[in-house]
Amino acid sequence: MSLFSRSPDDQVYQPAEDTFLLRDAALDEVRPDDRVLEVGCGSGTVIAALRERAAAVVATDINPHAVGAGQSLGVETVRTDLFAGLKGPFDLVLFNPPYLPTLPEERIDDWLEYALDGGPTGRVTIERFAEEVGRVLAPYGRILLLISSLTGPDEVRQLFADLGYTVLLVAREEVEGEELLVLRISRDLCTCRA
Amino acid sequence: MKRSLLPILCCPVCKGDLELRVVEEKEDDIIEGSLLCGACGVEYPIREGIPNLLPPADQD
Repeated sequence: MSLFSRSPDDQVYQPAEDTFLLRDAALDEVRPDDRVLEVGCGSGTVIAALRERAAAVVATDINPHAVGAGQSLGVETVRTDLFAGLKGPFDLVLFNPPYLPTLPEERIDDWLEYALDGGPTGRVTIERFAEEVGRVLAPYGRILLLISSLTGPDEVRQLFADLGYTVLLVAREEVEGEELLVLRISRDLCTCRA
Repeated sequence: MKRSLLPILCCPVCKGDLELRVVEEKEDDIIEGSLLCGACGVEYPIREGIPNLLPPADQD
Protein backbone atom coordinates (compact mmCIF):
# COMPACT_ATOMS: atom_id res chain seq x y z
CA MET A 1 0.00 0.00 0.00
CA SER A 2 2.40 2.65 -1.15
CA LEU A 3 -0.10 4.28 -3.48
CA PHE A 4 -0.99 7.04 -1.10
CA SER A 5 0.84 9.20 1.37
CA ARG A 6 -0.78 9.81 4.68
CA SER A 7 -0.50 12.02 7.71
CA PRO A 8 -2.64 11.85 10.86
CA ASP A 9 -4.99 14.61 9.73
CA ASP A 10 -5.02 13.48 6.13
CA GLN A 11 -8.55 12.33 5.43
CA VAL A 12 -8.58 12.55 1.65
CA TYR A 13 -6.97 10.13 -0.81
CA GLN A 14 -4.03 11.98 -2.26
CA PRO A 15 -3.34 11.99 -6.02
CA ALA A 16 -1.31 8.97 -7.08
CA GLU A 17 -0.61 6.93 -10.23
CA ASP A 18 -4.26 5.85 -10.52
CA THR A 19 -5.46 9.45 -10.26
CA PHE A 20 -3.19 10.62 -13.05
CA LEU A 21 -4.00 7.65 -15.30
CA LEU A 22 -7.74 8.38 -15.01
CA ARG A 23 -7.18 12.13 -15.47
CA ASP A 24 -5.21 11.61 -18.68
CA ALA A 25 -7.78 9.14 -20.03
CA ALA A 26 -10.54 11.62 -19.20
CA LEU A 27 -8.72 14.45 -20.99
CA ASP A 28 -8.52 12.21 -24.09
CA GLU A 29 -12.19 11.25 -23.83
CA VAL A 30 -13.95 14.50 -22.94
CA ARG A 31 -15.86 16.51 -25.54
CA PRO A 32 -16.64 20.23 -25.27
CA ASP A 33 -20.41 19.67 -24.94
CA ASP A 34 -20.14 16.95 -22.28
CA ARG A 35 -21.88 17.19 -18.91
CA VAL A 36 -19.35 15.41 -16.71
CA LEU A 37 -19.81 13.74 -13.32
CA GLU A 38 -16.96 12.41 -11.22
CA VAL A 39 -18.13 9.96 -8.58
CA GLY A 40 -15.92 9.83 -5.49
CA CYS A 41 -13.75 12.79 -6.45
CA GLY A 42 -11.31 12.57 -3.51
CA SER A 43 -8.79 15.40 -3.88
CA GLY A 44 -10.66 16.74 -6.94
CA THR A 45 -7.57 16.39 -9.14
CA VAL A 46 -9.33 14.57 -12.00
CA ILE A 47 -12.50 16.65 -12.29
CA ALA A 48 -10.69 19.97 -11.84
CA ALA A 49 -8.57 19.14 -14.91
CA LEU A 50 -11.77 18.95 -17.00
CA ARG A 51 -13.33 22.23 -15.87
CA GLU A 52 -12.29 24.18 -18.96
CA ARG A 53 -12.78 21.25 -21.32
CA ALA A 54 -16.45 20.38 -20.79
CA ALA A 55 -19.82 22.14 -20.80
CA ALA A 56 -20.38 21.41 -17.09
CA VAL A 57 -18.64 19.42 -14.37
CA VAL A 58 -19.89 18.22 -11.01
CA ALA A 59 -18.35 15.89 -8.45
CA THR A 60 -19.60 13.80 -5.55
CA ASP A 61 -17.99 12.16 -2.56
CA ILE A 62 -19.32 10.65 0.65
CA ASN A 63 -16.31 12.09 2.49
CA PRO A 64 -16.91 15.67 3.76
CA HIS A 65 -13.20 16.47 3.45
CA ALA A 66 -13.19 15.39 -0.20
CA VAL A 67 -16.17 17.52 -1.26
CA GLY A 68 -14.41 20.44 0.46
CA ALA A 69 -11.23 19.71 -1.49
CA GLY A 70 -13.13 19.61 -4.78
CA GLN A 71 -14.89 22.85 -3.99
CA SER A 72 -11.58 24.56 -3.22
CA LEU A 73 -10.49 23.70 -6.78
CA GLY A 74 -13.56 25.47 -8.15
CA VAL A 75 -15.68 22.39 -8.80
CA GLU A 76 -19.36 22.14 -7.83
CA THR A 77 -19.51 19.29 -5.35
CA VAL A 78 -22.32 17.34 -3.70
CA ARG A 79 -21.92 15.14 -0.65
CA THR A 80 -23.76 11.93 -1.46
CA ASP A 81 -23.28 8.18 -1.80
CA LEU A 82 -22.11 7.51 -5.39
CA PHE A 83 -24.77 9.50 -7.35
CA ALA A 84 -27.73 8.90 -5.02
CA GLY A 85 -28.68 12.60 -4.88
CA LEU A 86 -28.15 13.29 -8.59
CA LYS A 87 -30.60 13.05 -11.43
CA GLY A 88 -28.32 13.57 -14.42
CA PRO A 89 -28.22 12.96 -17.28
CA PHE A 90 -24.44 12.95 -17.69
CA ASP A 91 -22.55 12.37 -20.92
CA LEU A 92 -19.36 11.30 -19.19
CA VAL A 93 -19.12 9.63 -15.76
CA LEU A 94 -15.69 9.14 -14.17
CA PHE A 95 -15.06 6.80 -11.25
CA ASN A 96 -11.89 5.79 -9.47
CA PRO A 97 -13.62 3.45 -7.02
CA PRO A 98 -12.44 1.76 -3.88
CA TYR A 99 -10.98 -1.25 -5.68
CA LEU A 100 -8.64 -2.99 -3.25
CA PRO A 101 -9.74 -6.37 -1.94
CA THR A 102 -10.03 -5.80 1.81
CA LEU A 103 -10.83 -8.34 4.50
CA PRO A 104 -12.86 -7.28 7.53
CA GLU A 105 -9.77 -7.54 9.80
CA GLU A 106 -7.84 -5.23 7.48
CA ARG A 107 -10.35 -2.41 7.72
CA ILE A 108 -9.08 0.87 9.15
CA ASP A 109 -12.45 2.55 9.73
CA ASP A 110 -11.87 6.16 8.77
CA TRP A 111 -12.60 8.34 5.75
CA LEU A 112 -9.73 6.86 3.75
CA GLU A 113 -11.42 3.52 4.18
CA TYR A 114 -14.14 4.65 1.78
CA ALA A 115 -11.51 5.54 -0.80
CA LEU A 116 -9.79 2.16 -0.70
CA ASP A 117 -11.93 -0.66 0.65
CA GLY A 118 -13.51 -2.66 -2.14
CA GLY A 119 -14.74 -5.40 0.18
CA PRO A 120 -13.42 -8.98 0.09
CA THR A 121 -13.49 -9.13 -3.75
CA GLY A 122 -12.48 -5.52 -4.39
CA ARG A 123 -15.70 -5.15 -6.40
CA VAL A 124 -18.39 -4.41 -3.82
CA THR A 125 -18.72 -0.70 -4.65
CA ILE A 126 -18.17 -1.28 -8.38
CA GLU A 127 -21.10 -3.73 -8.39
CA ARG A 128 -23.38 -1.13 -6.78
CA PHE A 129 -22.17 1.50 -9.25
CA ALA A 130 -22.78 -0.81 -12.22
CA GLU A 131 -26.33 -1.66 -11.14
CA GLU A 132 -27.36 1.97 -10.70
CA VAL A 133 -25.32 4.12 -13.11
CA GLY A 134 -27.83 3.70 -15.94
CA ARG A 135 -30.19 6.03 -14.07
CA VAL A 136 -27.84 9.03 -14.47
CA LEU A 137 -26.10 8.15 -17.75
CA ALA A 138 -27.28 9.82 -20.96
CA PRO A 139 -28.29 7.35 -23.71
CA TYR A 140 -24.98 7.79 -25.53
CA GLY A 141 -23.05 8.48 -22.35
CA ARG A 142 -19.67 6.98 -21.56
CA ILE A 143 -18.12 5.84 -18.30
CA LEU A 144 -14.41 5.78 -17.52
CA LEU A 145 -13.75 3.34 -14.67
CA LEU A 146 -10.34 2.85 -13.11
CA ILE A 147 -9.59 -0.60 -11.77
CA SER A 148 -6.55 -2.66 -10.83
CA SER A 149 -5.41 -6.13 -11.82
CA LEU A 150 -6.16 -6.91 -8.14
CA THR A 151 -9.85 -6.07 -8.73
CA GLY A 152 -10.48 -8.93 -11.16
CA PRO A 153 -10.67 -7.17 -14.55
CA ASP A 154 -12.40 -10.10 -16.26
CA GLU A 155 -15.10 -10.15 -13.60
CA VAL A 156 -15.60 -6.39 -13.91
CA ARG A 157 -15.93 -6.66 -17.70
CA GLN A 158 -18.44 -9.48 -17.33
CA LEU A 159 -20.42 -7.55 -14.73
CA PHE A 160 -20.95 -4.63 -17.12
CA ALA A 161 -21.48 -6.90 -20.14
CA ASP A 162 -24.27 -8.72 -18.30
CA LEU A 163 -25.95 -5.36 -17.69
CA GLY A 164 -25.89 -4.52 -21.41
CA TYR A 165 -22.76 -2.40 -21.64
CA THR A 166 -19.82 -2.52 -24.04
CA VAL A 167 -16.42 -2.41 -22.33
CA LEU A 168 -13.15 -1.28 -23.91
CA LEU A 169 -9.68 -0.98 -22.37
CA VAL A 170 -8.37 2.55 -23.05
CA ALA A 171 -5.36 2.91 -20.73
CA ARG A 172 -3.04 0.73 -18.68
CA GLU A 173 -0.01 1.23 -16.49
CA GLU A 174 2.21 -1.08 -14.44
CA VAL A 175 2.83 0.06 -10.89
CA GLU A 176 4.63 -1.90 -8.20
CA GLY A 177 3.26 -5.40 -8.69
CA GLU A 178 -0.14 -4.44 -10.02
CA GLU A 179 -1.53 -3.10 -13.24
CA LEU A 180 -3.89 -0.13 -13.34
CA LEU A 181 -6.52 -0.17 -16.08
CA VAL A 182 -9.02 2.36 -17.37
CA LEU A 183 -12.17 0.84 -18.86
CA ARG A 184 -14.43 2.80 -21.20
CA ILE A 185 -17.99 1.61 -20.74
CA SER A 186 -21.02 2.56 -22.82
CA ARG A 187 -24.44 1.11 -23.52
CA ASP A 188 -24.41 -1.60 -26.13
CA LEU A 189 -26.81 0.03 -28.56
CA CYS A 190 -26.05 -2.34 -31.44
CA THR A 191 -27.18 -5.57 -29.87
CA CYS A 192 -30.86 -6.32 -29.66
CA ARG A 193 -31.24 -7.60 -26.13
CA ALA A 194 -34.13 -9.80 -25.18
CA MET B 1 -23.78 25.48 -4.87
CA LYS B 2 -24.90 27.34 -7.93
CA ARG B 3 -28.62 27.64 -8.56
CA SER B 4 -27.97 25.98 -11.90
CA LEU B 5 -27.17 22.75 -10.04
CA LEU B 6 -30.73 22.38 -8.72
CA PRO B 7 -32.29 20.74 -11.81
CA ILE B 8 -29.80 17.86 -11.71
CA LEU B 9 -30.25 17.14 -8.00
CA CYS B 10 -32.83 14.75 -6.54
CA CYS B 11 -33.81 13.22 -3.26
CA PRO B 12 -31.26 10.47 -2.54
CA VAL B 13 -34.05 8.20 -1.30
CA CYS B 14 -37.13 8.66 -3.53
CA LYS B 15 -35.34 10.42 -6.46
CA GLY B 16 -38.03 13.13 -6.47
CA ASP B 17 -37.45 16.84 -7.03
CA LEU B 18 -36.07 19.02 -4.26
CA GLU B 19 -37.24 22.47 -3.23
CA LEU B 20 -34.46 25.00 -2.62
CA ARG B 21 -34.58 27.14 0.53
CA VAL B 22 -31.95 29.87 0.67
CA VAL B 23 -30.57 31.31 3.89
CA GLU B 24 -27.46 32.99 2.48
CA GLU B 25 -26.62 33.66 -1.15
CA LYS B 26 -23.69 35.42 -2.83
CA GLU B 27 -24.44 36.26 -6.47
CA ASP B 28 -25.95 32.97 -7.70
CA ASP B 29 -24.04 30.83 -5.21
CA ILE B 30 -26.08 29.35 -2.35
CA ILE B 31 -23.82 29.37 0.73
CA GLU B 32 -26.30 28.30 3.41
CA GLY B 33 -29.75 26.82 2.98
CA SER B 34 -31.44 23.53 2.44
CA LEU B 35 -33.06 21.23 -0.07
CA LEU B 36 -36.46 19.90 0.90
CA CYS B 37 -37.94 16.65 -0.31
CA GLY B 38 -41.65 17.21 0.15
CA ALA B 39 -42.51 13.58 -0.57
CA CYS B 40 -40.20 12.22 2.16
CA GLY B 41 -40.59 15.23 4.43
CA VAL B 42 -36.79 15.49 4.77
CA GLU B 43 -34.70 18.66 4.64
CA TYR B 44 -31.12 18.25 3.39
CA PRO B 45 -28.69 20.95 4.50
CA ILE B 46 -26.51 23.16 2.30
CA ARG B 47 -23.51 24.30 4.35
CA GLU B 48 -20.52 26.31 3.19
CA GLY B 49 -21.82 25.97 -0.35
CA ILE B 50 -22.04 22.18 -0.39
CA PRO B 51 -25.35 20.27 -0.39
CA ASN B 52 -25.37 17.22 1.85
CA LEU B 53 -27.58 14.63 0.20
CA LEU B 54 -26.90 11.76 2.56
CA PRO B 55 -30.06 10.13 3.90
CA PRO B 56 -30.84 11.29 7.47
CA ALA B 57 -29.62 8.01 9.00
CA ASP B 58 -26.16 8.53 7.47
CA GLN B 59 -25.74 12.21 8.36
CA ASP B 60 -23.04 12.94 10.91
